[in-house]
Amino acid sequence: MEYIGEHLWAGQLGNLFVIVSFVAALLSTYAYFKSSKETEEHKDSWSDLGRLAFRIHSIGVVGVVGMLFFMLLNNYFEYHYVWQHSSKSLPIRYVFSAFWEGQEGSFILWSFWHVILGNLLIRSAKNWESTVMTVFSSVQIFLTSMILGVVVLDYKLGSNPFTVLLREHPQFQNIPLFSSENYLEKLDGRGLNPLLQNYWMTIHPPTLFLGFASTLVPFAFAIAGLWKRDYQGWIKPVLPWTIFGVMVLGIGILMGGAWAYEALSFGGFWAWDPVENASLVPWITFVGALHVMHVQKTRGNAAPTTFAMTIFTFILVLYSTFLTRSGILGESSVHAFTDLGMYGHLLSYLMFFFALGLTMFFINLKKFPKAEDDAFSSREFWMFVGTLVLALSAIHITIMTSKPVINLIFGTKMALDIGAQERFDIYHSFQIPVVIVITSMIAFTQFLKYKKSDGKAVFRKLAISSLSALIITGLFTFAFDYTNPYYILMLFSAMFAITGNIEYLIRILKGNINKAGSSIAHIGFALIMLGALLSTSKSIVISENSSSIDLESLGDIKNNENILLYQNDTVKLQDYYVTFIGKRKEGVNIFYDVKYMKKIDSDYITEFTLSPRIQLNPQMGNVAEPDTRHFLYKDIYTHVTYAD
Amino acid sequence: MKKTHIIAIVIIAVAIGVITTSLGNASTYGNFTEAFDNPDSKIQVVGYFNKEKELVYEPEIDPNLMSFYMTDKEGKECKVVLNQSKPQDFERSEEIVLKGKAVGEEFHATDMLMKCPSKYNDGNLQVYTD
Repeated sequence: MEYIGEHLWAGQLGNLFVIVSFVAALLSTYAYFKSSKETEEHKDSWSDLGRLAFRIHSIGVVGVVGMLFFMLLNNYFEYHYVWQHSSKSLPIRYVFSAFWEGQEGSFILWSFWHVILGNLLIRSAKNWESTVMTVFSSVQIFLTSMILGVVVLDYKLGSNPFTVLLREHPQFQNIPLFSSENYLEKLDGRGLNPLLQNYWMTIHPPTLFLGFASTLVPFAFAIAGLWKRDYQGWIKPVLPWTIFGVMVLGIGILMGGAWAYEALSFGGFWAWDPVENASLVPWITFVGALHVMHVQKTRGNAAPTTFAMTIFTFILVLYSTFLTRSGILGESSVHAFTDLGMYGHLLSYLMFFFALGLTMFFINLKKFPKAEDDAFSSREFWMFVGTLVLALSAIHITIMTSKPVINLIFGTKMALDIGAQERFDIYHSFQIPVVIVITSMIAFTQFLKYKKSDGKAVFRKLAISSLSALIITGLFTFAFDYTNPYYILMLFSAMFAITGNIEYLIRILKGNINKAGSSIAHIGFALIMLGALLSTSKSIVISENSSSIDLESLGDIKNNENILLYQNDTVKLQDYYVTFIGKRKEGVNIFYDVKYMKKIDSDYITEFTLSPRIQLNPQMGNVAEPDTRHFLYKDIYTHVTYAD
Repeated sequence: MKKTHIIAIVIIAVAIGVITTSLGNASTYGNFTEAFDNPDSKIQVVGYFNKEKELVYEPEIDPNLMSFYMTDKEGKECKVVLNQSKPQDFERSEEIVLKGKAVGEEFHATDMLMKCPSKYNDGNLQVYTD
């Protein structure tokens, strides 16, 4: 049958770009590999070929991005990917969100960032180009293979958004709609998940993926350094990339936290969800890698740690990709991707580079320069210990998130925790001490010199900042009524990190802004930890269950944060008197206006009104979004869980 | 032996201790039969909401309490008391995960995750004639 109105050319063109980018990545890897092994005279011709192939690969990837956008913007619902992620009523501004909502789109986004970084590297890597780009292009082979969608020996390799037509999709093959040749006239897309129709979805994933992509640059340099047995030369070119990557990935994670707090109903900015952990862990090891890189640059005695941390950062990015996309997390995460049956493919991607990194590391192990023992008073000693603590923090989170993987290997039946409180217990018991140790080290390590420092002089220098931190901690402890010793210690160490770095900035650096980067970053990190501590430890449910029913029969259950509000009925929540005024419908949203009043003498004065909403979505189920009133020192969070 | 090595070994030993203890405390996946055999341990049970039987949710009495019947993957049915408000679209859920323990004849759950076919998978093809 000839179907009317299908745009098959678009998919064919898109698919052509996919194939071009895959083949060119293969060619680029081979040519760069040859170039790195050749003697000087043939070197240039191979690296010229490698460069040309990478440029063609880039054109392919950019073409893929362009075609997928084009199809989404024009509502080509004959394609499964467009149908699945978009609809006629989807506002244009969410086309980006629709683009990377699915696995295929996010793989494309990821390889797009690699292409941008790869082209910058070709210009800047100089004599590292051949080796570094060999690794870079080989990663691109794997990434583009994820969207190839060809069948090799009964195994479908990747999922291609350009070749899967809706009417050919196994789920819909035999439905009556497709017996009509003008089925497209009646068809609308399934639409974007309402949870993701949010501006954070437009900026959070690309930032995060740029962060993920920038872990490849240090990895490629590390492999190149091991390959060429140059343990020192790769550090200098890689440092700016590492700083950039730590910054971008960190911002991406913070954006996720802001999104979770503002729009999702997790009830907080961080829930230790497996997918959140998957992006946090590589950041932690990335930060560790950045610090030992500095030690290696200055002292040259940290080669094994530097290589290990750099390689593991990238491997952990691949591992998180595997966790979140292979379907192994099952139902335990709120935002893992839909399983596309790419388990084996993703595993081979992970295993290939894991084996490569491990092999390269161990064949060099005996050749690393022997290092003398670091002095206790040296800066590098504490940076090394700090990196070790960061590595352990990463290992702890990884193991706790990997229960499904452990079950698979050892046949155990451990469940990933689904309750917020249990997650807090598990992660905080280890991670709060980590934060205390790390922030303390942030406070004093900068005052130490490389090789050896005068201990007494350092103590004297730290006197003002440690004393002021102690006083502020005392005041806070009193004001917030803290009794938990961990909270008080964390309060102090974070305060000390802030005051210590401010003092370093003023007294040692004399306010020289060109050298202030690390101090400012450390203050920023300590402020985030401080904020996390204050907001998490002082979170109070003001809507404690006030109903008549006795909940004690349920034993240790204490989840009473919901209360029932009748229209125009007023309920007292701590200092507030709260009234549900009524609901109003705007488009697909139903807003529930809840008025917060305070009683002054005998009058009720309206303080503010919050309008949490429920987004109606007949196809995917309704979604509730909270509304929050921000104050300087507190937030009031209101969320509809059930409404008639 | 270098100082850094000693410190490394000490820190790693502590970490291994903490990690193995918290792994040991993890709740396990199981079914209703196992839950009733071990009434003191917290278990996560995966199953299906029974749409035929009665579902009680009376927010005017207690907005944080609902009860319903769930069939686990082995086919055993049990009354569930959940100390949470009724989620949006609960009736449409396909698979649910409950965390809790057996109390008498009932399963008392503190947390629930539900999987709606329409929300996470493709569901049915919607056709609009406008």
